Amino acid sequence: MKRLPMIFAFVSLLIAGIFSAAQAAELIVWHAYRGAEKTAFEKVAQLYETKNASKGIKVTTLAIPYDAYADKISASVPRGKGPDVFIYAQDRLGGWIESGKTVEPIGFFMDDATRAQFLPGMLDAMTYKGTVYGLPLNYKSLTLIYNKALVKSPPKTSAELVKLAKSLTNAESGRYGLVYWYTNFYFHAALMNAFGGRVFDKDGKLVLDSPETVASIKQMMKWYKQDGILPTEPSEALVSSMFNEGKAAMVLNGPWFIGEISPSVDFGLALLPVIDEAGKKPMRPWLTIEGAYVSASSKQKELAYDFAKFLASEEAGLILALEGRQLHTNSAIYKDKRVSGDVVLNAFHNQLSSAEAMPNRAEMTMMWSPATTAMNKVVKGNATPEAALKEASVAIQESINALRKGR
Amino acid sequence: MNLAEHLKRSAVLGIGISVLLTLVLSTWMFHAEESDLRLQHKQRLALLHTNGLALAVANISVEETGKRVRDIQKLDPRIESAIIVVGMQLVASTRDEDAAPRQLKREEKPLFDLSNLIRTAGETNRGEEVVRKKTIQIDEKPSGHIVVTVPYLSDGQFAGILQMKFNTEAAEMFSPLPDSYSLPLLFLLAALLAGSLLRMNTDRKVDVAKLLALGVFLAIALSYQQQRLNRIEQMMAQANQSIAANYLATAEQYDRLGYLALPRDSSAVNLWDTDHYQRPLGLIAASGNVSAKAQAAYFDKRGGFLKRILASFDLLGLGVLLMFIYGYAARTFSALKEHADAYTYVAPAMIGMLVLVFFPFLYGITLSFTDTTLFNESLPFQDRLIGWDNFKAILGDFNLYERTANGIIWNYQNFYWTLLVTVIWTVSNVTIGVTVGFFLAMALNTEGLRGKAIYRVLLILPWAIPNYITALVWRGMFHPQFGVINQVLQMFGMQPVAWFDGVFSSFMTGLATNGWLSFPFMMVVILGALQSIPKEMYEAAEVEGADRWQRLRYITLPLLKPTLIPAIVLSVVWTFNMFNIIFLVSGGEPGGANEILITKAYKIAFENYQYAYAAAYSTVIFMILLVYGTFQTRVTKATESF
Amino acid sequence: MADIKTKNHVWLHVALISFTVLAIYPVLWVLALSFSGQQSVGLIDLPKDPSFLERFRGILPMPAHWSIKNFTEVWTDQDFGRWMWNSVVVSLMTTALGVFLACTAAYAFSRFRFPGRNTGMLMFLISQMFPGTLMLIPLFIIIVKWLELGNTYVGLVIVYATTAIPFCVWMLKGYFDTIPYDIEESALIDGASRLTIFWRIILPLAKPAIAITALFSFMTAWNEFILASIFMESELNYTAPVGLRFFVGGFSSQWGYFAAGSVIVSLPVVALFLQLQKYLISGLTAGSVK
Repeated sequence: MKRLPMIFAFVSLLIAGIFSAAQAAELIVWHAYRGAEKTAFEKVAQLYETKNASKGIKVTTLAIPYDAYADKISASVPRGKGPDVFIYAQDRLGGWIESGKTVEPIGFFMDDATRAQFLPGMLDAMTYKGTVYGLPLNYKSLTLIYNKALVKSPPKTSAELVKLAKSLTNAESGRYGLVYWYTNFYFHAALMNAFGGRVFDKDGKLVLDSPETVASIKQMMKWYKQDGILPTEPSEALVSSMFNEGKAAMVLNGPWFIGEISPSVDFGLALLPVIDEAGKKPMRPWLTIEGAYVSASSKQKELAYDFAKFLASEEAGLILALEGRQLHTNSAIYKDKRVSGDVVLNAFHNQLSSAEAMPNRAEMTMMWSPATTAMNKVVKGNATPEAALKEASVAIQESINALRKGR
Repeated sequence: MNLAEHLKRSAVLGIGISVLLTLVLSTWMFHAEESDLRLQHKQRLALLHTNGLALAVANISVEETGKRVRDIQKLDPRIESAIIVVGMQLVASTRDEDAAPRQLKREEKPLFDLSNLIRTAGETNRGEEVVRKKTIQIDEKPSGHIVVTVPYLSDGQFAGILQMKFNTEAAEMFSPLPDSYSLPLLFLLAALLAGSLLRMNTDRKVDVAKLLALGVFLAIALSYQQQRLNRIEQMMAQANQSIAANYLATAEQYDRLGYLALPRDSSAVNLWDTDHYQRPLGLIAASGNVSAKAQAAYFDKRGGFLKRILASFDLLGLGVLLMFIYGYAARTFSALKEHADAYTYVAPAMIGMLVLVFFPFLYGITLSFTDTTLFNESLPFQDRLIGWDNFKAILGDFNLYERTANGIIWNYQNFYWTLLVTVIWTVSNVTIGVTVGFFLAMALNTEGLRGKAIYRVLLILPWAIPNYITALVWRGMFHPQFGVINQVLQMFGMQPVAWFDGVFSSFMTGLATNGWLSFPFMMVVILGALQSIPKEMYEAAEVEGADRWQRLRYITLPLLKPTLIPAIVLSVVWTFNMFNIIFLVSGGEPGGANEILITKAYKIAFENYQYAYAAAYSTVIFMILLVYGTFQTRVTKATESF
Repeated sequence: MADIKTKNHVWLHVALISFTVLAIYPVLWVLALSFSGQQSVGLIDLPKDPSFLERFRGILPMPAHWSIKNFTEVWTDQDFGRWMWNSVVVSLMTTALGVFLACTAAYAFSRFRFPGRNTGMLMFLISQMFPGTLMLIPLFIIIVKWLELGNTYVGLVIVYATTAIPFCVWMLKGYFDTIPYDIEESALIDGASRLTIFWRIILPLAKPAIAITALFSFMTAWNEFILASIFMESELNYTAPVGLRFFVGGFSSQWGYFAAGSVIVSLPVVALFLQLQKYLISGLTAGSVK
């Protein structure tokens, strides 16, 4: 009779074995990539399958158009459907966490080695109110991109910038020294951060109309009005066409812009300059960071985390950076010759020394439209920076109050 | 007199069914309310003990914490177990097999996450100075256990969580009154009896029997509901007494062990008996006395909500009764039988519409009576219910403009501004569509015109292209620097226009795009109508000496009307809700001035995350259109002529 | 007399031609962009101080260099062929279901007098008044959660067909009204059942209107992308408009690819329009002028 428990244990082990073998785990991963990024991403997924062949894990990836992505997540995951892992930038993270049942916290799974592997600032974007919710995969930031035919050595300070840009500006023929989408708050943030302005303080209070932010807008207006180095009516399309026609000597733009540069333009990249008026602080662009999140509705969260961890690893990072042209967050890959030897990847990596993660609060979406209106008002001379920001703050605060309602 | 005839005259069926309906609904609601009260009571009891324990172990050494937790658990057999988690550590546990203190295990991840969640909730409430996040979590297990998690404090700071598993089955509950069905049955019998005695006069609008029937219904429904309301109040009082007794007994034991002094001061706040946000309920004082005033206020609040729901049930029953005594029910029934054929044909489409169009719409309307936002959508439905507030906020905001030194500044965020823009948008679009369509149709209807077919094909093309593609193309054409339209202006030596900067010019971009999209539909409709006007009529008119204008005025236009009106109604509705064009072309620039209602609702929902407010906005849009549609069809009897 | 007529027509032609040019200009522009082989919205780089002619060249919807690169890359970059096929299947199924539901309902509204008829008609009109943007979540709940039809053609077809019904019912009912009742009456006397009459007499007579209903249902299904991308859970099941959306949105937009994709996606609809246009005019309105 003593044997009975042993036999029982053996049988149950056997059953468990058969069960797990028959039910090869399938991981479903959602992303919004296409083109080279998609190809590289699928390659990494396949690599993960090969490495875990003994466990019989199958990774199924699904590309979703960007416009439908957030809706698809919000509709499916809280209702128990959807992927095991999904990839998105940090701007939606706060909203998903506040609404609940969407993103699984993963701080518990993370070991110190994993925490240490990332470039500085990356994990901040994935952290919401002190809890880690995702593994950062890649980042995008602005940097200075210049036409080598016009700019011999890129400026290091704002004084140099203005001097150089003035010499390259000829409004009559539509040539400008510096071109960027300065009325768009995302682009302006680089200047705002140099002055120490913020949208939210660390408690989540709106501080958009702070003197620092006002000063940063005044600085921009000086470039535009007094120095006259910026063109009117900027937009993404204007920036790219002016640069391609050789009419813009320097632009502030991100990695997505590289693919739009015409082959006839010989371009270089450099660090954003130091702003003398802001106490010699450098311009600090906002980082948008894509992370891999474990879905709260996943039935296999540990496995999902394991896959996310693989995506953030050096091995996957090299493939994603070299073949997918992504700026991966794993610091180890920038020691690789192929990466550090790549002008573009290296330049954006350098810019990280002064850059900071864009806030991941849900309230950020309420900021864009009033802030853009304020910028336009100032640029068109319809309001002072103080008044415009004050007005925008009132509108944003109203929306925020509607959201943060007491119970 | 046969049975059918008898039923028609007696009130028994009407009163029977309406009373049954109201009683069933009321009973169902009271049943739900009572089980909710019981559940709440259990949770409150469990929370009372957990809060007490948390207070007793706060801000003391780890060893002492472990001891106290075990001591207190032994005091009360209902406390199944209690654990304290700090970060990744299980600091204390009453269960020996847990072998506390130790690191959390892999499968204990939810504890770690829960601890973070509660910490964040407290920080958020403090940081935003608004209490909106629950700092206490209560879960009910299928086994009948209630698991309560509260913050665990050390050095006056949040350190971790204290989780208690409380067995409510073993505990003595306050005496639950049996759920009896004899009472409603008795009321129903009385109703049937009264109904069979009443004889209705079907010819007269008002007769004594009808009034009596209504009186009987109201008397029965109201007295039953009052009966049950009294019972609810009684239950609440019992619950408070039971909690007070539990509190006193436990607090005295704590006092004896020296863990916590029981305050005898009746004005002190009871910190054990709290809501899920750790705010004292105030129903029981620290001394253990039940506050009669607070209890009455509590019942008023909760009972008021119940009474409103009960009133709606009464109204429903009253409606049913009226349907019966005025013979509508009988007529509906016979219509269903008589026109079974017709209903069979309509049913498939109707069912599809009901499920996929009207259900989502009801969902939206329900949502509009709550204050649901991104931040609270996971809360239970009743907690979010607020009534008409959203509608009051939308319709009652008349802050339309502001007088300043520089003149009037319009408030583009105001509902009435957006409504005005929407109406102008709709009227101008439909006017353009009809005018352009009419002239093109007249032109294409010219006799002997060559190449008609080619013109027609080319002019229909804009309709065939998906409208989001169209919208994006037009947005490109209006681009200030590269847009074709400014190129043409510059070609003739004019200054380029910054189209999206001015309220008027930005409006024109949408108008041009939508006009381009919508004229083919009108053209085709009018062309079809023109072609079906018999030529003989014109010939006859010509013989009579009517000139062109008279022929247009007295033949063409009147004959176009029946076709045109429904087409205009449809096109008004479509244009009113034309989301893609505004959203993709001008985006409502500048500063939201050119937003129409539907894009505004979208932005409220997806930029400001105020889901309920957006739903209320949509409901208002729908009501406006409904009024328009009913009005228009009344005026033109379009349903008949189409 | 003949002279005046010809003269009038000349001016009419001038007016019509100029209007037609305006009307198809955006279409030509999409075509030009799709054949330009480039991705930015501006077709031509203008010189410093452009002359009238140079500006005129700038507004001509003609690419600087002709290339079919955008088409080949759009087609090979993604599973476009498969997605077109899905679109065809979904759209045809939608058409079949939509037309069936609309025909039966419209027939009842036209031929029977029953209580609730006017209310019913009004309900169909009212349903056009629901703002669609907020229906996403409830539709997801019904189709994916309750009916478990996520990732299937059927789920999409049901939603598209019901979306298309109201317009179709209104139109068909108007058309049925114009078919003389005498024909049915004599058939009824001959002993034919309602169903036979509906099938054998009414439907053949209403061909133009049914063609239009079909076209409208088809277009509803063919152009929709947001529900398709939300309901579908594998790339193999996407429809063509979903594929198109990959080129815009996010950080960068590839307008050239988008234009080429748009041309590919629009072609079948345009072809259908051209095929059915002789019905279009009679089907929408014929006979409502009695």
